[in-house]
Amino acid sequence: MTNFDAPETPGGRSRTRVVVGHLTLALLGLACVFPIYWLYATSLRRPNDVYEVSPLPWPLSVDSYRTAIDEVDVLRLLLNTTVVAVLTALGQLLTSLLAAYAFAAWNFPLKRVLYLAFVGSWLVPFQVAMLPNYVLLHQLGLLNTLSGVIVPNIVSGLGVLLLRQHLDSFPKELLEAARMDGRSSWSTLWMVVVPNLRAALAALGILLLVNAWNEYFWPALVLQRHNDVLQLGIRSFMSATEGDDWGPLTATAGLACLPIFIIYLLLQRHVVSGFVRSGLR
Amino acid sequence: MSGMFVEVAPPTLPAPIVAPAAAGGRGRTARRLARRLGRGVVPYLYLVPALGMLIVWIYRPLVETANYSFYSWNLSPTQPATPVGWHNYHRLFTLPELGGSVWRTLLMIIGLLPFTIVIPVVVGLLSREVRGRARSIYQALIFLPFLVAPVASAAVWQWLLSPRTGAVNRATGSSVNWFHERWPALIAITGITGWHVLGFAVVVVAAGLASINGDYAEAASVDGASRWQITRWLTLPLLSPTLVFLVLATALLFAPQWTFPLIDTLTQGGPVDATTNVYYLLWEYGIQSFDAGLASAAGVVFFLGFGLVAAVLLWISERVTIHDD
Repeated sequence: MTNFDAPETPGGRSRTRVVVGHLTLALLGLACVFPIYWLYATSLRRPNDVYEVSPLPWPLSVDSYRTAIDEVDVLRLLLNTTVVAVLTALGQLLTSLLAAYAFAAWNFPLKRVLYLAFVGSWLVPFQVAMLPNYVLLHQLGLLNTLSGVIVPNIVSGLGVLLLRQHLDSFPKELLEAARMDGRSSWSTLWMVVVPNLRAALAALGILLLVNAWNEYFWPALVLQRHNDVLQLGIRSFMSATEGDDWGPLTATAGLACLPIFIIYLLLQRHVVSGFVRSGLR
Repeated sequence: MSGMFVEVAPPTLPAPIVAPAAAGGRGRTARRLARRLGRGVVPYLYLVPALGMLIVWIYRPLVETANYSFYSWNLSPTQPATPVGWHNYHRLFTLPELGGSVWRTLLMIIGLLPFTIVIPVVVGLLSREVRGRARSIYQALIFLPFLVAPVASAAVWQWLLSPRTGAVNRATGSSVNWFHERWPALIAITGITGWHVLGFAVVVVAAGLASINGDYAEAASVDGASRWQITRWLTLPLLSPTLVFLVLATALLFAPQWTFPLIDTLTQGGPVDATTNVYYLLWEYGIQSFDAGLASAAGVVFFLGFGLVAAVLLWISERVTIHDD
């Protein structure tokens, strides 16, 4: 407590600042987390207690979850969403890896133009390309199917960008040595490049998985007749009950977020740095 | 890009693989030529999956959209499309919705800036002294909303902002009917989007601040500069690349991607268009009214406008950014 706000001593000054810093971050953290806490708190109250405002939901009850599972078939939606998100992320990872390998390992005509085609792909917003894609999906018979959500998404400009950056800093001697050994480029990719790229692939994979899980546009466009994934299941719940059935609604939304939160809990540092690094480039 | 190792740099465009049909007699040279050409094709083979998807699902539809915009068509396979020239564009610019939605998009972007610039910078400056494990725990909490699915957050915010029973109105004693009054609805959509992206911006600003070399500040403080002077004339200018990036992300990524699901689930653009931004307008034109011509004309205009805005912002950002060399 000595010198707490005596500005002359550098130690004291910086301690005030440390306290202010902790307070600021703690308050902001609480404010950010409160809605998520409230989501789970509401979902765990007894149906008659839903309108309570006590900060702790007590006594606990899983009735809302039971209703959600019975009424919206949350478990099937969870399964569907998992399939869609995992296949989408894996597909994006694979196409990105192959493309990034081409850009990093060879010089070829039109290389710059083709690379720009990937970089510039975000300039075409979803809504602009929406109608022709809708027509094509109709022609392919993929409307209202899960494949219709997955197939158009198996490319990621961001994935190509990030993996190329990693591959550009990959020691060229290793690739050269593999070539000298008479390895084909295909076996070099899988035996030399991929094992050394594991961390980057994992980080990108998580990022793509979270994005695919939370994706709304494509499911909303493709699955108009059935609400086959979680994001649409919540939406149909919201409109069907005129948003009054708060217990089951928050239970559904809570379950929809849970897998991502678990991944986050296990791999926190990688998730944050994955997103931030992708943004900084 | 210069120090790239090169396996083969064919002098000409790699021709399509020619089957070495007449390879019998003039054997070796022909085969070697074929192999050379074959190897030139290799990088393209690796590119084919990603590039194919890119063309089929992004660039082809862009061209098709431009084409649709000159037709009148209701998307039905049995109904033929009739060419109407520039009529759809004429309609688009005489309808009142376009101007209003552009204006509301702008309001949403401006409303997001406190969340993506002001709060992260203030918090970043105030908390520079917090390090280590404590810092990463705080950041983990602040980042959490960025991972919440927009529809899930629509559900919880509908509950929090529910007029009579919601926690917000009960805590503040207000009786605002958030999603059914014009300005409150716009504010709510913007605020919820801000809540989502705030954590991302806080982490990015913190990383930017951490990467600033401390020697400058020390030298300035030896020269007698006050803390505020150092912040104003050293730290903030050196942070400008980060801030410019965040402005770009707000206008070009966050506003389009995060507002749309919220609008679609919470207000459907209402009340009376109060939350219809350009992204939602395009959706309405295309998917709800099945007016392919008008929707495509709007898409083309929007694509050009979006590209122009992006180019101008990138150009400005090149000028105002101060680099620490």
